[in-house]
Amino acid sequence: MWSQLDTGFGHWNVFVWLFFFVIISAFALWVRSLGRMDYKRSTEQDEIFWSGNEVPEDGADFSVPASSSYWGFRVAMEPLYNLLNRFHNGNASDYAGYFIVTVASIGVLVLI
Amino acid sequence: MTASIAEKMDWLGNASYVVVALLVIMALYTIITQKNLLKICVALAVLGSSVNLFLVLLGYRDGGSIPIYHMKGAGDLMVLPTPQCLTLTAIVIALATTALMLSLIILIHKHYGTLDIDEIRRLRG
Amino acid sequence: MNLSDHLPAFLVMIPLLGAFLTPFAGSFNRGTRNAFFVTFSGLTLLTAIALCLSTLNGDVLVYVMGGESFALTLPSGMTYPVRILFEIDAFGSLPILCIAIASFAGALFSLDYMDRFSGWKRFLALYFLMTAGALGMCATGDMFNFFVFVEISSIASFGLVAFWRDKPEAVEASFKYMLISQIAAMLLLLAIGTLYGRYDAVNMAALSAMAGSGTLERVAMGLIIAVLAFKCGSFPMHTWMPDTYAEAPSGVTCLLVTVSQASFYGLVRVCYSIFPGLAAGGVVAWMLIALGVMSMFFGVLMAVVQHEIKRLMGYHSISQVGYMLLAMGVGLLALGSPEAVETYGRAAIRGGIFHSVNYSFYKALLFLCAGSLYYATGTRDLDKMGGLARSMPWTAGMFVVAAAAISGLPPFNGFVSKWMIYESSFAVHPILPAVAMITSVLTLASFVKVFQAAFLGPAKAKFVAVREVPYGMLAGMAVLTVMTLLLSLFPGWFTSGFFESAVNALVNHQSYVRAVMGGM
Repeated sequence: MWSQLDTGFGHWNVFVWLFFFVIISAFALWVRSLGRMDYKRSTEQDEIFWSGNEVPEDGADFSVPASSSYWGFRVAMEPLYNLLNRFHNGNASDYAGYFIVTVASIGVLVLI
Repeated sequence: MTASIAEKMDWLGNASYVVVALLVIMALYTIITQKNLLKICVALAVLGSSVNLFLVLLGYRDGGSIPIYHMKGAGDLMVLPTPQCLTLTAIVIALATTALMLSLIILIHKHYGTLDIDEIRRLRG
Repeated sequence: MNLSDHLPAFLVMIPLLGAFLTPFAGSFNRGTRNAFFVTFSGLTLLTAIALCLSTLNGDVLVYVMGGESFALTLPSGMTYPVRILFEIDAFGSLPILCIAIASFAGALFSLDYMDRFSGWKRFLALYFLMTAGALGMCATGDMFNFFVFVEISSIASFGLVAFWRDKPEAVEASFKYMLISQIAAMLLLLAIGTLYGRYDAVNMAALSAMAGSGTLERVAMGLIIAVLAFKCGSFPMHTWMPDTYAEAPSGVTCLLVTVSQASFYGLVRVCYSIFPGLAAGGVVAWMLIALGVMSMFFGVLMAVVQHEIKRLMGYHSISQVGYMLLAMGVGLLALGSPEAVETYGRAAIRGGIFHSVNYSFYKALLFLCAGSLYYATGTRDLDKMGGLARSMPWTAGMFVVAAAAISGLPPFNGFVSKWMIYESSFAVHPILPAVAMITSVLTLASFVKVFQAAFLGPAKAKFVAVREVPYGMLAGMAVLTVMTLLLSLFPGWFTSGFFESAVNALVNHQSYVRAVMGGM
């Protein structure tokens, strides 16, 4: 079989996966079709709800910028990120230093 | 297995390898500590030259003549030709990189108005 | 003369011819320039495909330059080869194929992407030189020749990264890469000189046949491993990677990804084929595992918080290279004992090779998608993009394929290769697949962010004029999308056909030696 893969620990077949994907999608669509269909189209029930305010014309005024994603993660990991940002400080002689130190430590390690 | 070249050399011959090691360490030290881009470029050229010196030394044989069959004169001892070919190639490569690096330094000076490596760090984080 | 015997020479000759014809070609108009670019990269691709097919059954192709006969590796009376020779086995032909495909896709993409800019001749010459250098790195059987090809591809890439020389950041990225890269190249030459001084040979197969375990060999091997680990971007030496990948034109970044794969090929070749006695089962294997785990984890941590699209992808490259280093380290650890090779070693090596092939395609595709976004919107900042899936549906669709593949979502190919790496590294220590899975989750998180920020959300007023990118760029991306989908749908065929013979070539290093040294 072209798509059957035996990894030595188990099997992987992409078409079995796709088959189950189709079944589960059909189930999800069925659940969705149970929802209410009796809302009134093209009235205010159809509109975007934006905290009760008027929705701005330009999408730029109410979109979430990428820098705001995972804000909590970044704040929680702040000490680590301070360290990493100090490491990536943009100074080329520091970068050359990291390289030479790594080469030296690999050179010492292989002698063991 | 052929005997290594280093084993054939006397203790004085090994002194030149010490010079190579010193030059390499000096060049690396200069690259890390100096702040001026031109000095760093010079240090890179020194690094290249010291490696070339190392290659040339590998081909040296005591009392050997040039490795061209009809020009070597009396005696049948010749130096090794391979390291000389390697060195010529490496010199050409070092020339190309030094020229390219100097042109990049010119562009950096045009854009940033400085040659201080501490101030050329818009790309970080 | 049989043309197929000379394929290894054609492989490097065609792109070199393309590079050196460019300055003499007179003034190009748009049509001839595009035809020239596509013809030469297409010919390179055809050669690479033919070469790859002829190594599938385990043959090792050897091609001697400048000899009486192209197949004569040992001239009369010689015990080791003195001429420059190319040696391509089943493992070497895989990166060759990846480089050729990425070069072709990058060429198609650049036709329209670079159309607004001048300096086309220099771009073409450098592009072909970089392709030739990367192909040569995977084809050569000679250490010094390897150094020369590393330098050809590096110097061409310095020029291409700084191609937009009116942008300060591009020049800065090129300079920083060049500084460390030149130190690395000189250390590589020092190591090759040491090996030459010890054995009077620079041929890889001859070195492999003679290599002992003295101090000089160890130091030389350590230097070469460190330099090549830098070239493929492992953790403490990775800082050039986000800089150059972000600042280079996108068609070039697509090729830079595969050039780093050529360095990865060199690293694996040195560990598995040249110094298997020194490297297998010991501290070198653990070193590769440690480098891999650090690259994976810290690369993805930095990627999650980036908001510039190509820089984010550059940090992801580091973490993806980490997976391959981990897999190859596990394989090298298993190489010490025959039963370990059978239980998890082959699975690890197969996973690493599979992942490196996958990586070349989906990562190149991601960079081309980022280039399309830059082309259409004029910005690389994710904060400023938004709602672009409506106006660029094809780019959005291909981006989803690539992002799902790199995040390891089933049923895409990234899942299969990552799964092989998890399974085999679990046999060494459970912490290794744990770190790898955390990395995979963070990868998914950051690509969800990219997709949400760039393609979803409300339409922005300043992007109402944005249209889908031209057909040439879409064609370049489509080549890589088709490759990703093929690898996803038929992993079994690719594994039994391509990767299995590559694993055999790596595990039995004697076949690599015997092709050059004769019956030893």
